[in-house]
Amino acid sequence: MIGDFFSATGSLLSIVFSASFIASAIAFSVVMLFGTVGELITERAGHLNLGVEGMMLLGASMGYFAAVRSSSLFLAILFACVGAGFGALLYAILTVTLRVNQNVAGLALSIFGAGLANSLGSKVSNTSTPDNIAKIFKLKPFSLSSPSGPFLTFINKAFLSHNIYVYVAVLVAVVATVFLFKTRAGLELRLTGENTAAADASGIKVTRIKYFYIILGGMLCGIGGLYLPLVQQGSWTSNMTAGQGWLVVALVIFVRWHPIKAIAGAYVFGSLTILGFSVQLNERLSSIPIFNQYIMSMFPYLLTVVVLIAFSFRKKAWPGPKEIGRPYFREER
Amino acid sequence: MFRISKKESFSKKEAISYRLIGFLIGIVLSGIIIAALGYPVIKTFISLAEGSFGSAIAIRNTISFLIPLSVTALGLSIAFKMRYWNIGGEGQILMGATAAMGVSMIMPASTPGPLMMIAMLLAGFVGGSVWALIPGFFRIHMKTNETLFTLMMNYLAICFVQYLYFELWKDPAKMGFPGIQDIPFKARIPYVSGVSLAIVAPLIIVILVFFLIKKTKLGYEIRVVGESEPTAHYAGMNVKKIMFVGVLLSGGIVGIAGAVKLMGSTGTLSSSLGGGAGFTAIVIAWLANLSAPMIIVVSFLIAALEQGAQFIQVRMGVPAAVADIVKGLILMSVLGSEFMLRYKVVVGAHGAKNKLDAIPSDKEEVHHVEPIVETKENAL
Amino acid sequence: MKRVMSLIVAVIMMVGMLAITGCDKKEEEKDKVLKVGVVYISPEDDGGYSQAHAEGIAKAIATYGDKIEVKKLESVDDADVEATNAAIENLVNDGCTLIFTTSYGYMDPTVAAAAKYPEVYFSHCSGYKYSGNGYEGKNMDAYFGQIETARYLSGIVAGMMTETNQLGYVAAFPIPEVIRGINAYTLGARSVNPDVVVKVSWTNTWFDPAVEQASAEALLADGCDIMAQHQDSPSAIEAAESAGAYAIGYDLTYAGAPDAYLTAPLWDWGTYYTYKIGQVLDGKWAVENYWGGMKEGVAKLDALSPLVSEEAKAAVEAARSEVTEKGNAFVFAGPIYDQNGELKIAEGESIPYDDQMGMAWFVEGVIGQIPS
Repeated sequence: MIGDFFSATGSLLSIVFSASFIASAIAFSVVMLFGTVGELITERAGHLNLGVEGMMLLGASMGYFAAVRSSSLFLAILFACVGAGFGALLYAILTVTLRVNQNVAGLALSIFGAGLANSLGSKVSNTSTPDNIAKIFKLKPFSLSSPSGPFLTFINKAFLSHNIYVYVAVLVAVVATVFLFKTRAGLELRLTGENTAAADASGIKVTRIKYFYIILGGMLCGIGGLYLPLVQQGSWTSNMTAGQGWLVVALVIFVRWHPIKAIAGAYVFGSLTILGFSVQLNERLSSIPIFNQYIMSMFPYLLTVVVLIAFSFRKKAWPGPKEIGRPYFREER
Repeated sequence: MFRISKKESFSKKEAISYRLIGFLIGIVLSGIIIAALGYPVIKTFISLAEGSFGSAIAIRNTISFLIPLSVTALGLSIAFKMRYWNIGGEGQILMGATAAMGVSMIMPASTPGPLMMIAMLLAGFVGGSVWALIPGFFRIHMKTNETLFTLMMNYLAICFVQYLYFELWKDPAKMGFPGIQDIPFKARIPYVSGVSLAIVAPLIIVILVFFLIKKTKLGYEIRVVGESEPTAHYAGMNVKKIMFVGVLLSGGIVGIAGAVKLMGSTGTLSSSLGGGAGFTAIVIAWLANLSAPMIIVVSFLIAALEQGAQFIQVRMGVPAAVADIVKGLILMSVLGSEFMLRYKVVVGAHGAKNKLDAIPSDKEEVHHVEPIVETKENAL
Repeated sequence: MKRVMSLIVAVIMMVGMLAITGCDKKEEEKDKVLKVGVVYISPEDDGGYSQAHAEGIAKAIATYGDKIEVKKLESVDDADVEATNAAIENLVNDGCTLIFTTSYGYMDPTVAAAAKYPEVYFSHCSGYKYSGNGYEGKNMDAYFGQIETARYLSGIVAGMMTETNQLGYVAAFPIPEVIRGINAYTLGARSVNPDVVVKVSWTNTWFDPAVEQASAEALLADGCDIMAQHQDSPSAIEAAESAGAYAIGYDLTYAGAPDAYLTAPLWDWGTYYTYKIGQVLDGKWAVENYWGGMKEGVAKLDALSPLVSEEAKAAVEAARSEVTEKGNAFVFAGPIYDQNGELKIAEGESIPYDDQMGMAWFVEGVIGQIPS
């Protein structure tokens, strides 16, 4: 029994720490990483935007549409931002100016966003990413041509052989961290989300900040979504994001609204999602009930639930920006 | 500079007219987007209407969509009235159906049909309420955020039902294909001239929910907790117990929706039994301002929209996704119109106190401003 | 008082609806045009399964011109009984008198609809119920194709080309149709290379590029050097190319990975749809359980790419005529051993039709499990 346990653990560890698994998991987590950084910026302003799925789809469809029609990567990214940003703008108008309940506004956005994205996407269904753009993402800028020794080979395969999109995502997370914690603008954002009244009283333009960062957060979600049709698949399908937008909402809490932690968090969620495939191929592990593929599909959600409960034990029911959910009325200050 | 001040009250006429304006703005905005996509606007809208009412088949389909949507929305409305954000409708539908399925599999084959159906409905209630009470427990006792928790419970339910579908409850009679067996024929809700008798469910439940909320002590307590938890405490109410019962009822009714769907239209269990009703019902409950009778009306409109969407896809080749554009924009516009209804924007002076915008006449009912729009006390 | 009034209004509305549905309004339409309805499980241009059907329908349209009018509903989830019922109802309501339901999960709703609308013809793909077999009426039949013939030949290509003797197979669901394909592929590969093993990874989705890619990567990391799939996106092919491996596709030809793509088993439904629609146009509807193969042109092996070696080409050609002529009877002819090495089919026999339809075991050489 004990022996079985150790050998099973050994098999599991050898899978999880293999270079190819790490590489697969990183590739699988790009979309969520962008989304998490974007949504946590929005939440830092005091607004929980449940419409992430809608914004991702909007970014994906408008960006991909632009790519196919213009063959320009620049326009693709621009339109992804415009599409997702438009959705975020609607949400901002509703929740900042019109003081609508954030949950319902976000839900409306996810429905509207998916509807518009799918309608637009069906116009470019039978197309694929233009070659010039596809070529850019087939490049592996940091990969070593002949790594010497097992360590370098491992590092090369696991971390250095990805496309540009992956590295940009990581860069965005790093920049966001520096911005949030080391700049004045970031401080103003954080204060807005923690105590809007105080921020307002000290002269910070809270309304402007909320609008700006809600829209910026949405744009990042859109760029994340764009990865799917533009790079990952090379064509459009309805509802491509397959629920990753909802996982992002959970991920933001999991990483405690901290962009650097989002890198690790997205990685954990991504690897949990694909762990099933490698486990299936391992005879020792696949006979253990808990590694049943359907049970394993529950893991990311269970993990989120555990984290939520754990936070509550520490008496921090909502350990995030305190102003989330509360519309701000200057008159009540 | 302009100030925003809350209106003390507004008349029912104002409420209807502002929401209607919001609805119309939503239609206009979606028309603009539909035109931008290159589809004929007027023809699309007419086809949407034709597709939902224009024939007996269409109406039957609309009613078929209406039943689970309205029951779910009614269940959710109880939770929302307490400001308990039950986003877990989809999961509660599934687990209600799962419990009902389980009961049908355990009961001996000789059980009389009506008895089996009653047992399945009860099981549906239990399944849904248990699933709702898992996050509910943590919210009540540890203030864990229920929005996220209930959302995750949806996916856990879906994964679990997939496990049943492919493995635990796999039906050997399906020649190797995955799937769960059908429920016994005598447990199926019969159809009368093409319409499912399950229509009885929302009819009964709307009356029950209406009386619960408006006429019972529990309903009153639920409303007070929703308005302000501190006030409820101060008035000596056992807030924890009220929330517990509220969540139990909410999840239970949604679970019944799942059981009814199982016995009415699908006949078997699969992970897509919910069909998105859990999320759409949130939209419906909100548009109906959590009022039970209005929920029926709004459910009907949304069901018509869903049926119409299929129709326009067949008739005009317009993607069904267009209906989601209309749905989302209508919701957003009506939500936005709430603001104009409840708040007065005064241009100019600082220091002006709350002003009454309209003095209601004797004949009109006066509504006190219910804090559906959030204020500091009732966040998230 | 007012609230009770609104409650009564709501109830009256619902009762009124019921009353209206009581009276059936039949539309009088004197159309000489045959309205054909199609229900797809994914978008018509998904680059995979539905597109293959759609291209078949397009061929029928090209043949019959304006004698037919085709109506369709896409992305109808076949596990959602309510949506399926509504879809079929909408097509019937629009006047369709011949309806094709293209996915297995539509089977029971199709049976129910056939019973409800005896004047409409229904043809269901990849199922086992039809008039005389699980359904008493006369207006429903079934169709599918012996794609296993093409799978077998593609297995020969893989068996000849592999260097690690490990073949990867990204598979959607553990259902008989998929299991048949895996077995046919394995039998074909081992007919030229008895040392080969086929590793199976289940994705539980017909179409999810990210998931398919991750699954393929796991197989590639495990040592497989040729990928095959029963999926509707080309992700596994792309993953193979990135890893410097070869790949065999499915459903449609794929030009996006010229350094990996060898060939693919393809569907060509044009033959069937032209045939069946022609039957109805001539008023000669006949119930059958259509199961065309390479001989009828429903299943095809894509042209072998320049990457395929001469030896592999020769091996394929050697087997091609017999496979084409005899179909699955040849593919599943004994002796066949199962995964545990037991003889399941003796020499001189072949797997009976029903056992093929309900296949739930793997042949020798397959590494993978079928959930029980």
